[in-house]
Amino acid sequence: MHSPITIIAAKDIADARRDGFVALMSGFLALAALTALVTGAVALAHDVATYQAAKASLLALGKSAAAIKPPEFYPLRLLRGTVEQIEIVGAAIAILAGFRAAASERGRQTLALILTRPLARWQFAAGKMVAGLCLLALGLAAVFGLCGVLLHLISGVGLGADDVLRLAVVWAVSLLYTASFFAVSFALTLRLRHTSTALLISFTLWLLLVLIAPQIGDTMDPDNQVAGGVFAALSIARPDQLKIMTAYAGFENFRNGIEVASLTKHFERFSFAVLGIKATYAGLPLGPILIEKTLDFLVILLSALGLGGAALLLPLNTRILTQE
Amino acid sequence: MSVHHITAQSLRLVLREPTVGLIVALFGGLVLLSGWLGWQATATVNKIYLDAAAFLAAAGKPVPSNPVLDASPLILLRNMSVYVSLIGALAAIVTGNRLVSLDRTAGALPLLASRPVSPLAYAVAKIAALFVLIAALTAAAAGISVITMLALPAIDLAPEDWADLAGFFAISALYMLIFGLIALTAAAGSPSESVGLLIPVALWLTVMFILPALTLNLTPTATLNPISAMVPPPDTTFFRLTGWALGPLSLSEIYGTTAAGLLHFSPANWISRAAIPPAASFTLWLTLSGLLALRALIRLPKVSGDYHA
Repeated sequence: MHSPITIIAAKDIADARRDGFVALMSGFLALAALTALVTGAVALAHDVATYQAAKASLLALGKSAAAIKPPEFYPLRLLRGTVEQIEIVGAAIAILAGFRAAASERGRQTLALILTRPLARWQFAAGKMVAGLCLLALGLAAVFGLCGVLLHLISGVGLGADDVLRLAVVWAVSLLYTASFFAVSFALTLRLRHTSTALLISFTLWLLLVLIAPQIGDTMDPDNQVAGGVFAALSIARPDQLKIMTAYAGFENFRNGIEVASLTKHFERFSFAVLGIKATYAGLPLGPILIEKTLDFLVILLSALGLGGAALLLPLNTRILTQE
Repeated sequence: MSVHHITAQSLRLVLREPTVGLIVALFGGLVLLSGWLGWQATATVNKIYLDAAAFLAAAGKPVPSNPVLDASPLILLRNMSVYVSLIGALAAIVTGNRLVSLDRTAGALPLLASRPVSPLAYAVAKIAALFVLIAALTAAAAGISVITMLALPAIDLAPEDWADLAGFFAISALYMLIFGLIALTAAAGSPSESVGLLIPVALWLTVMFILPALTLNLTPTATLNPISAMVPPPDTTFFRLTGWALGPLSLSEIYGTTAAGLLHFSPANWISRAAIPPAASFTLWLTLSGLLALRALIRLPKVSGDYHA
């Protein structure tokens, strides 16, 4: 015998398949992610061609090519734009998925009928959330799968088992990250009188957490104030930069504090480290990276659990819900 | 019932909406923050330069010129272009959506149908209300920015700088108006309130984060940094082609580069690769969104136009 949670989840998944919602949203995210991957690959090919031309010129002049640094190539690094699209567009899609899961019954006037059944309120919410998370997991898997296949084909070196494992880790963390936004939107849409108000508040939170807080931190980075970087403009080498910046430790801590107030920044830092997008992690084994990034992972996990728990357990006002 | 009456009534209804108030307050806060951020970041770079200059002089190395002194004071407001792209556009979408959705949810359309109001008068009144609201929002943002510029120490704007600042706010108002008009169109033409909101948001996401990746090789976070967004794309056939073909559609890029020019942080070698000039693209966007909004509002059935009719 199926539990009420399973029945509601299965019904929601069937609804989503029927109206094409999953395909549409996943397609939009895949388009954004693949666009970022392709443009990143084109830019890298340009860097390689520029390096090869410069190397050929030096060799033709009888000089050593050691003076110019070859571009580094780690295939997973091409996923930088993809990860950023998931952190921005993926979170927005999760909000839409949470909104849809809660609003669909209200719009069809079927909620009042469901609530007359022998069913606890939390079971109703849990069924909806299970369905939503399954759909998000499928959509993200499709996006990572497509990106993995494309990366394998265009990188020229192929992906190994370690690369696939890293992609799987980032997929799982992407699911946890997007689950937080799903939970916020789902909880608000189930509890506010007007569903469109819930959607607007969700998007306002998304703007603040996903776009504005990281943007403020990024803008305050002194190296982002001058095109190409302030230290590059002043021709100061990396070790000397670090010496100069020791006097700005308080400023840097404040800036970092603004950034880490956003869940998005934790997701970005974790994913960039696992995929080797951040240069200091490129080529390192996965185990030590995961240990170092435990705090970022815990913030993502606890956010998902906390917000999911709140969406599940906060009381529902059935009078409001059955009005619309 | 005249255009004036419908406009005034629409303004009253929208201004009573808490979500509109929330978004507008957020926008105002960010405008204020933008000036402080610009000043604070510039002052930090200046201090770093002084430290670096002392360090280079002690090492017997040549000291380059100060990048801060080379810049116009208007560069302090550079984050404004990002906040208009983000929250300004969203505020315009919410406003445009609410101007129509409030009528459709409150059952006001059948009432209007019983009065001598032509569909054209209704459409013109809604567009006029949107125009008034966006003009007021822009005027408030401009006022905050002017006060900020006057309050910040050691900032002295020349008359031509004030003219460029006025130009920046004019182009910002038109950018927001385009999204407001798209939201009006979607709210009038959609079968449900939520779909009417989702369509302009999806379009905004595409314009903001997907098209700049194709035309400029910008990652989504780079589009949020006004300086990084002005780095030219790699000189390849791919980006030349996409920039030429998709440049006219990339509205946030058109707005961002125009704003960068008016706020004096556009690189000297920056050139548009689009098939048609940015001003022409912007005019086309504005004209098309205005005509679509007019058409959708005229065709909105007054008797059966409610969402649940």
